Amino acid sequence: MGPQTPDHQNGPEDQCSVASQDSGIPTLEINPPEHVHVQPYSPNDDGPATLTLESSDGTLHKSSTFPRSGLEWRLFSPPGGVRAGGGALNRSDEISVCSVSSLSTELSATLSLSNDDIIDFMVTSDSSAVVTFENNSDMVVSASRFSEASLPPSDDLPQSHQGALTPGELRLKRTSPILSFINRNLFSKKLKGVSAADGHREPGWRLFGRVPPSNPKAALKENERGAQAGDSPSPRQSVRKNLEFEPLSTTALILEHRPANLPAKPAEEAEKHQQQYEEMVAQAKKRELREAQKRKKQLEDRVKQEENIGNAALTWSQEILPNWTTMCSSKRVKELWWQGVPPSVRGRVWSLAIGNDLNITHELYDICLARAKERWNASSAPSTTTDTDTGGSSHADREASLELIKLDISRTFPSLCIFQKGGPYHDVLHSILGAYTCYRPDVGYVQGMSFIAAVLILNMHTADAFIAFANLLNKPCQMAFYRVDHSLMLTYFAAFEVFFEENLPKLFAHFKSNNLTPDIYLIDWIFTLYSKSLPLDVACRVWDVFCRDGEEFLFRTALGILRLYEDVLTHMDFIHNAQFLTRLPEHINAHTLFSSIAAVSMSCRNRKWTQVLHTLQKDPERASPVLKR
Amino acid sequence: MAKQYDVLFRLLLLGDSGVGKTCLLCRFTDNEFHPSHISTIGVDFKMKTLEIDGIKVRIQIWDTAGQERYQTITKQYYRRAQGIFLVYDITSERSFQHIMKWASDVDEYAPDKVQKILVGNKSDEEQKRQVATAQGNKLAKAYGMDFFETSAFTNHNITESFTRLAELVLQANKKDLDVLRVSINDKLNLAALEEEEGVCDSSSDAQKTCWC
Repeated sequence: MGPQTPDHQNGPEDQCSVASQDSGIPTLEINPPEHVHVQPYSPNDDGPATLTLESSDGTLHKSSTFPRSGLEWRLFSPPGGVRAGGGALNRSDEISVCSVSSLSTELSATLSLSNDDIIDFMVTSDSSAVVTFENNSDMVVSASRFSEASLPPSDDLPQSHQGALTPGELRLKRTSPILSFINRNLFSKKLKGVSAADGHREPGWRLFGRVPPSNPKAALKENERGAQAGDSPSPRQSVRKNLEFEPLSTTALILEHRPANLPAKPAEEAEKHQQQYEEMVAQAKKRELREAQKRKKQLEDRVKQEENIGNAALTWSQEILPNWTTMCSSKRVKELWWQGVPPSVRGRVWSLAIGNDLNITHELYDICLARAKERWNASSAPSTTTDTDTGGSSHADREASLELIKLDISRTFPSLCIFQKGGPYHDVLHSILGAYTCYRPDVGYVQGMSFIAAVLILNMHTADAFIAFANLLNKPCQMAFYRVDHSLMLTYFAAFEVFFEENLPKLFAHFKSNNLTPDIYLIDWIFTLYSKSLPLDVACRVWDVFCRDGEEFLFRTALGILRLYEDVLTHMDFIHNAQFLTRLPEHINAHTLFSSIAAVSMSCRNRKWTQVLHTLQKDPERASPVLKR
Repeated sequence: MAKQYDVLFRLLLLGDSGVGKTCLLCRFTDNEFHPSHISTIGVDFKMKTLEIDGIKVRIQIWDTAGQERYQTITKQYYRRAQGIFLVYDITSERSFQHIMKWASDVDEYAPDKVQKILVGNKSDEEQKRQVATAQGNKLAKAYGMDFFETSAFTNHNITESFTRLAELVLQANKKDLDVLRVSINDKLNLAALEEEEGVCDSSSDAQKTCWC
């Protein structure tokens, strides 16, 4: 294996970017950079963090890793080999499996195959991950690319820039395929960002990556081949080759002779033990075979899913988007829409669906931003009491709102570590929120907005995100909430209760008797459009359909959540319900939630959501009596 | 089944955004501290059971969003509280000045019997201090409240302040508590009683046994 072959160094079509062409499956679940502990090769320790800090040339580098709190990867590279330990991979859920496999590379496929539990992981990764690594020198490219581009030209890896590798680096690459894998994963979008900057720049969305040009099935096969070829051809290995597994425990203590101080084992007992042992082994084999098959199936499903997403992305970008106005309301598009907009076109679909009734231009955004910056500078300068002209209180308010924005940015998706100070999107988020306070001083900054802006930033370029942000907040429901128009909010809650009672009468009665009013959970959900309460990938799917169906879908989603957890909720008291609903389970599966939402009927005695809402608006007396005092 | 608690009541955390309400609460209920907490939108909930003078007290704590805009919403919750924390940040003069606003809102919207304490959080950040301990003490005295300087970061005075407010609420309701404890050996749901009272308060305030 020649890690320094010229084509890897200089080839225009470097394999990294090919590998980084995506899969379309959200990679949300990969962890925050600071949680990646790579040991013991310290030079790269701060690599991922360095990556997130870089946003130098004004180009927005959209990283492919958008984690959600809770999942953690800890990687250890003990001198002997590669293994994953800690509670890392066994905490994986379906989503993280998905995120791993979404790289659509050989190695990642191996990982997703093997992350059911630690032991599995160690068994397979020791063989196939290394093999993959050897077969696939692009790993090396990614590692060296990584060190070139993301590490400051410093003492840590002095020679990598000249293209010569020290033995230590070679060893690093040889022994840490996982590290390379992580590096590549973290880094691939940055490379992409760089290449986009000097060439064809595609607008839109980078969060979840793009569709791989290559057939993922090939990757799967290659992986299988690699796994088999990699094993040394000992008899034991050949068994393994056939079965793709072997029993984990074969110590067979039961077959041992008894200790000398005890009477010897009678022959028939020994025979019985032999028999029992064989049965045990047979069962273990059976079980493991089943598990191996299950994993294989999972992998195949994953590949299939990636393919589906890839196909959908093609349909969206080649058929639907070019003919948006004629196609967007067709039945077929609506169905496709419900299944989730592929991340690669999500930003564009959202922009088109939200529209721009306010006719905001990029120039207007620049103007608002410039004014916001003036204010920041004015307020950061030592306050030389010039506030008497506008009235002290409004000045103080404005200053308070500026400070609140700063405070809230650091508290927006803190687990992603990309909006915090020093993170790549900190300034972007700050700019959008600041510009909005200048654009709509009557609304100003309200807590919760930072989450909406953040989700938009993750899906589109800054100015487009601002346009979508302002237009989204201008919708009646969002305006009612963000301006805290209390009576209108109560009307929304009342309309929600109408459909709540219609769909889930038992739970409705239970909540009523516990005095659990909808404001307690709906406020958070509606203000942040579920981005704070649901896993980010699931929230994005809710946003998809919200863009399609409007405010009604927000309330329908609420009912879907209540419906999904109806059994649990009906057996809890006020405080437990309130806690549950304000902090939903971390691992909500999009598919399960959407089937639950689909089962919610949004028509009550032949009246649709808007009709119910209008009736209640005309007749405020019918608004939720509990909340009205 | 052994009963889980004897008395149940609600405490409310009020104060400007970013003073550390959620952090105080997380430290108290879970003994955890997260330096960058996600912002609270609307209201969050926690609960914990304490034992005070042999009485098992379950407290529900309502943690509210601090931004002024949200006060229209959070004011709705004041009337459901038996105890209120007024929290400011010792490194923010402004948050301290706003205590007066918070206190007057409490007077207006919370039940008369509500117990309040003043909490100056972030006492670990001595070098950034803008509000002297004496100022906090003075204000608390003026309002007739107890005062604690706390640090969710170092776990300073956290349990003390929560326990103190719980004791105050118990004391304030002691008469009723004794009566009820003698008559019925059942769990006493202050919150539920208050709720009933909330429903009937418009018709009459003759119900002297009510808690608030």
